[in-house]
Amino acid sequence: MMIPTGEATIGPFFPPRYVDEGANDLTQWQGGTARGEVIEIRGRVVQEDGAPLENLILEIWQADAGGIYRHPADPRHAQADPGFFGWGRAATDAQGNYRFRTIRPGAPHGRQPHINFMVMFSGLMRILRTTMFFAEGDDPVLRAVPAGRRNLLIAKGKYEFNIRLRGEGETPFFDD
Amino acid sequence: MSTLITKRDERTQPVRVVAGYAQTQVRNPREPLVSRPPTLSELTGPMDVAGRVRLLGGDIAGHGERQAIGQLMHLKLRVVDEDGAPVAGAVVEIWQANAAGRYIHPNDDDHAPPDPNFYGAARLLTDASGAFELRTVKPGAYPVPDSGGWWRPPHIHFSLFGKVWLSRLVTQMYFPGEPLNEQDRILNAVPDAAARERLVARFAPPTGEPRNALVFEHRIVLRGRAATPAQH
Repeated sequence: MMIPTGEATIGPFFPPRYVDEGANDLTQWQGGTARGEVIEIRGRVVQEDGAPLENLILEIWQADAGGIYRHPADPRHAQADPGFFGWGRAATDAQGNYRFRTIRPGAPHGRQPHINFMVMFSGLMRILRTTMFFAEGDDPVLRAVPAGRRNLLIAKGKYEFNIRLRGEGETPFFDD
Repeated sequence: MSTLITKRDERTQPVRVVAGYAQTQVRNPREPLVSRPPTLSELTGPMDVAGRVRLLGGDIAGHGERQAIGQLMHLKLRVVDEDGAPVAGAVVEIWQANAAGRYIHPNDDDHAPPDPNFYGAARLLTDASGAFELRTVKPGAYPVPDSGGWWRPPHIHFSLFGKVWLSRLVTQMYFPGEPLNEQDRILNAVPDAAARERLVARFAPPTGEPRNALVFEHRIVLRGRAATPAQH
């Protein structure tokens, strides 16, 4: 079967201006600088045959360096870092690579430090959601993943998080 | 403040692998998706995204010498959450093809002409009642390359931020009475007929206002039993 490539996609997906300049840098917000250790997360997104996916959209959502979410549902949100928004967006380049500059999140109540990812692309019928962890640890979301696949959610080095949408070594995604 | 999140009803959402839509077969997970207990991490989410992204106006049809070609239309949209409560101050991103079925996008270069007066994207905020109005031209249908005769019906794309991470939705809106709706492989990937109906706008009978524009009304429900299906 012929797999259509970028020249024969179903149609352009997100418009060129969808990703604002600087949307993948979470370390600055409203004139402030986020507290905590600045980190870079890089990775490559591929489909079943290993082909990289260009102009795929990723969004992340995470706690601040103190493990607090800037959202009223977090009982500690009044103490959230005013220099940290917690959300960012990036698009992959022609090699399927993305990059976020952010701060290393603290451990939220009952969780290990982690970053939520969302994947949007043509050919995905719905948003795909996954979560990146920094290390093995006792975490209710990581525990929900079959033991043999948990390592696929743990970033390598400082910090590489590759996403395979389908096939051998497929990234675990959540059904929520 | 806490938000109760129920699982989406599978019948109201599109199947992930669609016959005749080749990319779905190589991009959607083979493994079953993992059920996880919702924690604070998923039941929070970016608030006030308007403080992080640049808003683009709600009038993309142009004016004077710079008017887009096509049937002028106003879209009155309302965004509600799973309880039917309006989602106020939500960022809604919109994009669409021009009246000839062409997107302003480097990948779309094979058929219809671009319109120099039509960019085709907006980024808006809902008001206190979860509503906003977009002034645009009606998008044209377009053929999907190498698909054996599949045409996308006229449609408008929406990307919406709800109150929490799990409410995030990307969907499309269709127009009533379009023959291509019956054979569209994305719209018809939703098994439940009532859920498909929720993707089709309502035509508002003309009243003379706004002048020279047709009016369509549409409601998007971010989650819950009556959720608007995802459409990518």
